[in-house]
Amino acid sequence: MTMHGMRGLSVFISDVRNCQNKDQERLRIDKELGNVRNRFKNEKGLTPYEKKKYVWKMLYIYMLGYDVDFGHMKAVSLISAPKYPEKQVGYIVTSCLLNENHDFLRLAINTVRNDIIGRNETFQCLALTMVGNIGGREFAESLAPDVQKLLLSSSCRPLVRKKAALCLLRLYRKNPDIVNVDGWADRMAQLLDERDLGVLTSSMSLLVALVSNNHEAYWSCLPKCVKILERLARNQDVPQEYTYYGIPSPWLQVKTMRVLQYFPTIEDPYTRRTLFEVLQRILMGTDVVKNVNKNNASHAVLFEALALVMHLDAEKEMMSQCVALLGKFIAVREPNIRYLGLENMTRMLMVTDVQEIIKRHQAQIITSLKDPDVSIRRRALDLLYGMCDVTNAKDIVEELLQYLSSADFTMREELSLKAAILAEKFAPDLSWYVDVILQLIDKAGDFISDDIWFRVVQFVTNNDDLQTYAAAKVKEYLDKPAVHETMVKVSAYILGEYSHLLARRPGCSPKEIFSLLHEKLPTVSTTTIPILLSAYAKILMHIHPPDQELQSQIWAIFNKYESCIDAEIQQRAVEYLALCQRGAPLMDILAEMPKFPERKSSLIKRAEYSEADTAEQSAIKLRSQQQTSNALVVTDQHPANGATSPISVGELSLVKVPSMITSENDTSTDLSQQNGALSNVDTQPPSADLLSDILGPLAIEGPPGATVQSEHNAISGLEGGSDAVDGSAIVPVEEQTNTVQPIGNVAERFHALCLKDSGVLYEDPYIQIGIKAEWRGHHGRLVLFLGNKNTAPVVSVQAIILTPAHLKMELSLVPDTIPPRAQVQCPLEVVNLRPSRDVAVLDFSYKFGTNMVNVKLRLPAVLNKFLQPIQVTAEEFFSQWRSLSGPPLKLQEVVRGVKPMPLPEMANLLNSFRIMICPGLDPNPNNLVASTTFYSESMRAILCLVRIETDPADRTQLRMTLASGDPTLTFELKEFIKEQLISIPTAPREAAPAPAAAQPTPQIPPNDPAAILAGLLS
Amino acid sequence: MPVAASAIYLLNLRGDVLINRLYRDDVGGNMVDAFRMHIMQTKELGTCPVRQIGGCSFFYMRISNVYIVIVVSSNANVACAFKFVVEAVALFKSYFGGAFDEDAIRNNFVLIYELLDEIMDFGYPQNLSPEILKLYITQEGVRSPFSSKPSDKPVPNATLQVTGAVGWRREGLVYKKNEVFLDIVESVNLLMSSKGSVLRCDVTGKILMKCFLSGMPDLKLGLNDKIGLEKESQLKSRPAKSGKTIELDDVTFHQCVNLTRFNSEKTVSFVPPDGEFELMKYRITEGVNLPFRVLPTIKELGRTRMEVNVKVKSVFGAKMFALGVVIKIPVPKQTAKTSFQVTSGRAKYQASIDCLVWKIRKFPGQTEPTLSAEVELISTMAEKKSWTRPPIQMEFQVPMFTASGLRVRFLKVWEKSGYNTVEWVRYITKAGSYEIRC
Repeated sequence: MTMHGMRGLSVFISDVRNCQNKDQERLRIDKELGNVRNRFKNEKGLTPYEKKKYVWKMLYIYMLGYDVDFGHMKAVSLISAPKYPEKQVGYIVTSCLLNENHDFLRLAINTVRNDIIGRNETFQCLALTMVGNIGGREFAESLAPDVQKLLLSSSCRPLVRKKAALCLLRLYRKNPDIVNVDGWADRMAQLLDERDLGVLTSSMSLLVALVSNNHEAYWSCLPKCVKILERLARNQDVPQEYTYYGIPSPWLQVKTMRVLQYFPTIEDPYTRRTLFEVLQRILMGTDVVKNVNKNNASHAVLFEALALVMHLDAEKEMMSQCVALLGKFIAVREPNIRYLGLENMTRMLMVTDVQEIIKRHQAQIITSLKDPDVSIRRRALDLLYGMCDVTNAKDIVEELLQYLSSADFTMREELSLKAAILAEKFAPDLSWYVDVILQLIDKAGDFISDDIWFRVVQFVTNNDDLQTYAAAKVKEYLDKPAVHETMVKVSAYILGEYSHLLARRPGCSPKEIFSLLHEKLPTVSTTTIPILLSAYAKILMHIHPPDQELQSQIWAIFNKYESCIDAEIQQRAVEYLALCQRGAPLMDILAEMPKFPERKSSLIKRAEYSEADTAEQSAIKLRSQQQTSNALVVTDQHPANGATSPISVGELSLVKVPSMITSENDTSTDLSQQNGALSNVDTQPPSADLLSDILGPLAIEGPPGATVQSEHNAISGLEGGSDAVDGSAIVPVEEQTNTVQPIGNVAERFHALCLKDSGVLYEDPYIQIGIKAEWRGHHGRLVLFLGNKNTAPVVSVQAIILTPAHLKMELSLVPDTIPPRAQVQCPLEVVNLRPSRDVAVLDFSYKFGTNMVNVKLRLPAVLNKFLQPIQVTAEEFFSQWRSLSGPPLKLQEVVRGVKPMPLPEMANLLNSFRIMICPGLDPNPNNLVASTTFYSESMRAILCLVRIETDPADRTQLRMTLASGDPTLTFELKEFIKEQLISIPTAPREAAPAPAAAQPTPQIPPNDPAAILAGLLS
Repeated sequence: MPVAASAIYLLNLRGDVLINRLYRDDVGGNMVDAFRMHIMQTKELGTCPVRQIGGCSFFYMRISNVYIVIVVSSNANVACAFKFVVEAVALFKSYFGGAFDEDAIRNNFVLIYELLDEIMDFGYPQNLSPEILKLYITQEGVRSPFSSKPSDKPVPNATLQVTGAVGWRREGLVYKKNEVFLDIVESVNLLMSSKGSVLRCDVTGKILMKCFLSGMPDLKLGLNDKIGLEKESQLKSRPAKSGKTIELDDVTFHQCVNLTRFNSEKTVSFVPPDGEFELMKYRITEGVNLPFRVLPTIKELGRTRMEVNVKVKSVFGAKMFALGVVIKIPVPKQTAKTSFQVTSGRAKYQASIDCLVWKIRKFPGQTEPTLSAEVELISTMAEKKSWTRPPIQMEFQVPMFTASGLRVRFLKVWEKSGYNTVEWVRYITKAGSYEIRC
């Protein structure tokens, strides 16, 4: 640099460096800045040398972090100096001091342009470098043609063209319009013929940016890229200076492969073959060597190649070669390489088919779990998590459990969460799952989030045959001397519910169980005490005949907590005491908890949200994909509220929707209110999250509760109608008949599905069609599960959707054949365009043996699926109601011949259609007022208001008024509700069957994974 | 008596412990790490001298390049703790003979440990008077070679000294010439608006004494303060003189002053310690005589030029003069060139503080020198940052002038032997923060 002889500058720099502290430095700098300002003001007296010197000083001061905005002008003005030394200073300092948004830069555009189109190569380089660093939009607009010309000109030296390519890249990023796609694609291809590797590398960077925006236009570049790659891989004509540790220009290789990844596929067979040869060569030729730099370079190339291989969906052989290579990597001692190996293996999991091959390295991966380096351990954990499936779940989870006790604390939470998820998803049997989770809690109690133990409670509650086992198991754990609080929570809950199942066993009398639990009471925190209290109340309830001693003991405890400072504990104590004292009939309220409605594991949801790392994310995504593929069971195992508990349905619904009973005041509601309070933890802020996850859906969600009820109505009728076992998805094969008769009433099933989102749409001896739906706004996603129930394949499967005009539906490809005992899923996307009551029909046909079966099934993509319940306040409601006056926006009709039903039932029915009843808006108790929003693509969300006036004297008629912002919607919705009110599926409301009959234990064939999972996920 | 400290740490700027002394075991040894982690290494250092971390409170103070940190875990008296630190530092200084810094501490750490043992016991402050401590902690600090030589004095009975009625003065002092020096030092704090109206003004003053008196003298000081004069006129049952009386606020005395007599008779009477000490401190907010008036006019002519005219008027007696007058007139950061015209003294532009500095070595009373300057600014892009116009600052010293008007009316010395004494009285007024907005 031309700094020789700049004595002032070096003296200044050494002064600054000699400063003892920041204050001294600031004083020195301020003094110098004063000097510089003084000099700059003396415009006349500044020689070019001095100008240069002061601008350098200014740059130095700027680099130390001080503001030098007074000198920008000077720096920019130096650009236009005629001589190289000043021009260079001007360019360098300008690109350091200013950014693209600076106004001063505008002044320089013209000078820069002159330098670019000038003949002097040095000046061209300076100008291109600066523009490449800080050029903004304005530069892009005024300089792009010149830069392009330079890049393409054959008379320029490669040095200039290289810089021109990079400069153009910057300009393109600032303003993509400067590159005219049509013209430029050919020129780009032409550029790729360049022999000079420097120019080629720069052009390739440009191409990466171009292709990432629009790959269509640059198809012509594809073969050339392959050719370049081939040239490099064969090491043909690569000059020495572009060879890095024996690797021909690794940067260019990486960039070229990056470009290729932007093209969806390679069609030309020749090119494809060549490319695969090259990739093969790269895969073969890469190995781990001693030299770090060489390793870095060759691995960069290799991993890019791997990414390309994955992208191109190479043949299985190549994939397995990749995995083998990665297997070599993860066995290396060098941690960086091992890390890369693990991370890329996790990526490979995204590609199908390789899972089996990766499994071979399981042992090696498990050793990595014990690596001293925490990032490697994390990767290994991710990989294990990603590669886990039914076959190796047991091994992996055992391994994770073992590792848990030695893992470091930062990882334990994640580890335990993952172990819990894997155990849940791939459990070969449920008792194993319970074992695993209890072990988890035992080993890492502090790291177990509430979700994990909530989940195990849900499973135990929903599976009758598990209850005894779980109760016995938790008791074993409780017998241990030191028990973690989470374990106390689980065991208190489970023992409270199911300890009576153990009563016959030695050491498990209610009294002993009670004292076992009560021992723990002094050690636990306030969040656990409520659970213990519930357990006591339940234990007390289950004793027959009543044990006076235990009773007085427990009452004493309740008495004691009646004055507890914690509101939750206090309330429970008071209520339980009152309940116990009321005597046996009221104890029904303390009966076993009903089954939980099936829902997605909150653990998996949590895992999806909590992760941030990219590789982890990919693993999680993969997992969630598998999740859907495993969820092959669409069971109808509805929560059997009515069946197990002797409380009548009406009462139950009262309990579930506490807001509906607040006005009444007789004893029974009083009690149910209490029960509501027991479960409705949500109303009490201090302990809102305690049990809400377990109890939430029962207590809070009014409408789903009602859904459950009507579902039960619908299906109990169905049970009466056929012998089909409703509880398991896959029915025992014995009773086959040749005539293909649908099992169950197809219409009933359709109506049931109108109200809920998953269930069986159709079933006959050969095939079962299940549906699982998700609705969000005007979008819907249905998944059809086509399950072959037999040991022979079902062929000529055809599914055609007859779409009504108001819907847009897309059914993915339906396979022609369904293999024996397999299930295929066909996602079906639904978009609602406008309101209509028309129903889509699935025309489904298949051939089994010689039977050709064709059925036409209505799909439950009905009007109410696009509704979203919404709670409106009285003001909102009335202002809307008044503003929508008269037809066609507001329609009124007197409906006769309505199926008589009590008002709460009608309210439940409406709620189940996602039309939300707004209690209290209408002063007349015989009227119902409801609101909802309707989603469609043409209109987005529209608020709909409903008012139904019933006549207490004549239940068969009512007057219905509907209002919404759209006349069609008003009409269609009115008709829809009318249809529903008149033609309700009249389920015979027979007496609730015995629990055993309502809950047939799913008979799990021991060696059928699908059925096992069916049982698991039910 | 309140607890003042559970432990004392002396740290250097990097946070290394130079000296630590634990007085109580209610704080752990790793407390200083907490201080380092949570105070020294954060930006909060210097924002608040009292901080709580965990269950412990940290009081800290920086003196030259040393942090003195007091840690307590109980509810301590903060003022007491800080007073203790200040006194302890004064004590150390008197032992080392001047500087108190890292090097001095390293050179004297045995002495410091010995002193720390003596001046605080189980967290309660003890005698901190250097005169007394020097009686029984005779180990001399390593003095810098330039300070005065220690004299070889006999060691008198220290116990009697400490437990006696006059703990701060030794018996049996003999001086050939009995002299008393009394200085009244005032510093004026002022904030004045550009129009010349006083926004804030007060004077903090102290009376410093140096006594070289034999035996056990009893001194009595009379000032022209309001309470004293009123009391006197009451006692003598004659009307107060028409002369100016001063109202003193916040008076604090050295421990030698007999407070019962002050309360009953409103006279300041005391048996002085030997040597130098600060007799009293006071503050005055009413009726302050300002020594200088400043009349600035600063005009911004366009974006790149400024015209500054400052007139300074001395309002004390014509026979008096001020010394070391420095007037700092702030200018914008982008000042490039300046040119001055002054009627006395010298002016220049100092870029490091962004001020025009005008120095007048000797400034007679009742004069008004002026400065007029032209300032050229360099233009920048960031015009939005308008100049905030900080106030003009002024430094000065005016001997034989008190801004409060306080005067010594008498200083009487009684001693059994009835020797004659020579009394010297000086007045001096300095600038505290003397600021004039412009």
